[in-house]
Amino acid sequence: MNRWIRRAGMYVLLTAIALAFVGPFLILLSAALKPAGQAVFSFPPDIIPRPPVLTWAKEAWTAIPFPRYLLNSAFLVAVMVPLYILVSALCAYPLAQLVFRGRSLIFFAILATMFLPGEVMLLPRFLVVSQIGMADSYLGVILPGLLSAFGIFLLRQTFAGVPREIVDAARTDGCHELRIFWHVMLPAARPTLAILGVFGFISVWNSFIWPMVVLKDSSLYPISLGIAYLAGITGTDIRSLAAGTIISILPVVVFFMIMQRHVLEGMRGAVKS
Amino acid sequence: MRPVAASRIPGQRWYTPYLFPLPALVLFGVFFAWPAVTAVQLSFTDYDGVSPPVFTGLDNFVEILGDARFWTALRNSLVFLVGLFPLLVVLPLPLAVLVNQKLPGIRTFRMLYYLPVVTSMVAVAVAWNYVFHQQGVVNWLLTGLGILDEPIQYLLDPVWALPALILVEGWKNMGVYMMVYLAGLQTIPSELYEAARIDGANGWHRMRRITVPLMVPYIAVTVTMAMLDAMQAFTTVFVMTKGGPQDATLMLGYYIWAEAFEKYDMGYASAVGLVLWVLLIVMALLNYRLTSGRRETR
Repeated sequence: MNRWIRRAGMYVLLTAIALAFVGPFLILLSAALKPAGQAVFSFPPDIIPRPPVLTWAKEAWTAIPFPRYLLNSAFLVAVMVPLYILVSALCAYPLAQLVFRGRSLIFFAILATMFLPGEVMLLPRFLVVSQIGMADSYLGVILPGLLSAFGIFLLRQTFAGVPREIVDAARTDGCHELRIFWHVMLPAARPTLAILGVFGFISVWNSFIWPMVVLKDSSLYPISLGIAYLAGITGTDIRSLAAGTIISILPVVVFFMIMQRHVLEGMRGAVKS
Repeated sequence: MRPVAASRIPGQRWYTPYLFPLPALVLFGVFFAWPAVTAVQLSFTDYDGVSPPVFTGLDNFVEILGDARFWTALRNSLVFLVGLFPLLVVLPLPLAVLVNQKLPGIRTFRMLYYLPVVTSMVAVAVAWNYVFHQQGVVNWLLTGLGILDEPIQYLLDPVWALPALILVEGWKNMGVYMMVYLAGLQTIPSELYEAARIDGANGWHRMRRITVPLMVPYIAVTVTMAMLDAMQAFTTVFVMTKGGPQDATLMLGYYIWAEAFEKYDMGYASAVGLVLWVLLIVMALLNYRLTSGRRETR
């Protein structure tokens, strides 16, 4: 009996905390779905839309080129995520499995990027990108985002765990390094690749500052820039802003819920490395 | 795990190991090393982004010393950091203990606590604008409890704006810190707790005598992370307050942005950036020495 009460109390506590984390999104969702006759704000709060309507979602959808922005973000994800994983894996392989002069130098160079504050780098990186003619283009958005210390270290750790016997056997069979990388290392690292895919998706979908600095042409905007733009033009129309914001986070939230296992395991791996 | 020390492979060409990291190294050179050198160079110049930079020696750094807005930004950044400590270093530990229990459905709770981490800062800012609204839920709670006499517009109030940003930043990132501690907790053998329970130690004692001491290396990690998070905070400020009202939320990251992209004073912005950079390195080293000292004496 006592155990049951304790357990019930535990769930009450867990739920209360969950409410604190999800609450702001629920308030947003409620504002997005309430009919025009129901006030968005009131004391006490009136959360349940009666009845839920999609008017504001439709309004947001046409107020800005919404499908275009969603497609832009999807495109960036589709291009950047595989490329950043490939660049990371290529860099991680020799760091984990080969001996060569300058290995620790490369290692420290990658480590240094973690300690360069993004805000300090924003301006000089923008100047460099403009100088090589990549301003206002996807090339300028994509290329600087492909180097990930997180990806390299996580994969280095995974590759280092691949048993030497397998690698040696492949070598005696006459495999050159690129074949070993492609046919031995990458398959062995599949779970880590999945983790990097999930984190890559989330971070590219949510990227905001760098695209804002690089892109002038608003038709190239990714969705989070689109939402900031919507917030700027709607101003007073809080309902369609709420609806637009909900639509913008829906893909990443659904994706995260499906892949949550990988995210949590990825954190564990990241902490270890 | 450390990489296996391999001997040189017979028949392998000397340059093979360098071909693999080549893409990463090119990216490093173009988008990290080159900009870093540029930043250092610019910090000794006067540069508006159009006409060529003019070398001015240490002028920018001298100017920083007498720049009241810089000191405001530094002070706000430090207040932000101190305010974030309970939210990012302390609170996530009991939270991790809570979700480390073996209960049905505990994964779902972990996921919900992590939800703000995966949503974009822009969306979070929009959501909290509704929470902080004059007729919003925070005002309803605080006036209802008698803490406030009348509703406040938190983000427009010079006293409340900074605490409000601390709350949002802490709320958004708490999940990450919880997961760091959770990863640590799962390395503690459960026998330790069993033994303590048999010895009659209660929950608080187990927390103080077992969990916290064993978590010290992880606390070192979260402290470093919190420092980097707080001192670089930019997006939060940019999307919620733009440094206002009356510079109440002006922080170093945003100040650098404003000098560079609003005032086009790019030399000066680079100099402030350099100062922030040095500050971060000093803080990271200090934290490393303190925590590694503690680890040895334990």
